Amino acid sequence: MKQDTLQYRSIDDRPLPKWLTDQRDGLNRYQPEKLEMKEDNSLTLSFLLTGGIIILVIAVLTVYVLKKRPNRY
Amino acid sequence: MKPVYLRILVLSGILSMACTTKVSEWVLLNSEANNYLLVYYHKDPVTEPVKKQNEQIGREINSANIQFRSILRNDIEKPYYALIYGNRLFSTYNNHAELKNLSVSPLREKIASELMSGMLCVMLYLKTGNPEKDAPASEIIKRTVAASPFREVVSVRELDRSSTEEKHFVSMLLNVENDLKEINEPMLFGIFARFKALEPLLARGISTENINLMIDFLTADCSCLIKDNLPGTDILFTNNWENPLPALVNRILDENPALLHH
Repeated sequence: MKQDTLQYRSIDDRPLPKWLTDQRDGLNRYQPEKLEMKEDNSLTLSFLLTGGIIILVIAVLTVYVLKKRPNRY
Repeated sequence: MKPVYLRILVLSGILSMACTTKVSEWVLLNSEANNYLLVYYHKDPVTEPVKKQNEQIGREINSANIQFRSILRNDIEKPYYALIYGNRLFSTYNNHAELKNLSVSPLREKIASELMSGMLCVMLYLKTGNPEKDAPASEIIKRTVAASPFREVVSVRELDRSSTEEKHFVSMLLNVENDLKEINEPMLFGIFARFKALEPLLARGISTENINLMIDFLTADCSCLIKDNLPGTDILFTNNWENPLPALVNRILDENPALLHH
């Protein structure tokens, strides 16, 4: 909270203490972080990933079942 | 109840209290006073009498917010003591006698006892010794405090800049900011918690508006911003700060909810 390194010409120009100006300007209050909307691709990504996994599982299972299935002909 | 739920309940209780505790009370209860460092610089080996004197100094300041050290330095002409706070040199002393009552004095005792009795703060008016400068600001301070709804919990004390009895206290106050020693103007320090002195109002800055802002600062809910960047300088003083009486400001705020602010 130092503000005494600033140069000033006369005592009337000397800056007020920071705690005082912060209190006057309402800066001592806790200010929550401002939330900003950002482009959200997570849902698309999730669908693609889920679809990919499902196709992969079906493919693997198909190959597995076809290989295990006894040849009737 | 499972221990984990109990812990969450206790923690949330503490957090909720922290956000409604006033600045002055929170700092008094939770913030330890920063330590000073008293250094004895010497070039030659310490003689037996000096060793005894230094042991006596160590005993005198034992329970104050200060540490004492001896340091060997070859680039000095004669030994001396230096009082350091953080990285700031506050004062130097040529001998043991100049350190008398470094950590205690009558006014500091009075102020500490008022802080421990639940007062919001002590406004310390540091006078120049020139009545023409001192009287108008003194009048403003008295009038403003008398008109404040918090007048019962704000104490006003006056101190002469040239006081020999309080010379160490005056020196520490004039070191709160590094240009104060060169400014021969009346100054008003807000002293709160464990003898923390706010950067002062001085000369024409001692106004009704600014005094009320000082009271507002100390009666506001303690915010994370204040906790993280607490202003002021701790004054050297011997005291046990345990078990202060409950803050009197809370009764005033309970009776007058309109005075609550952030």
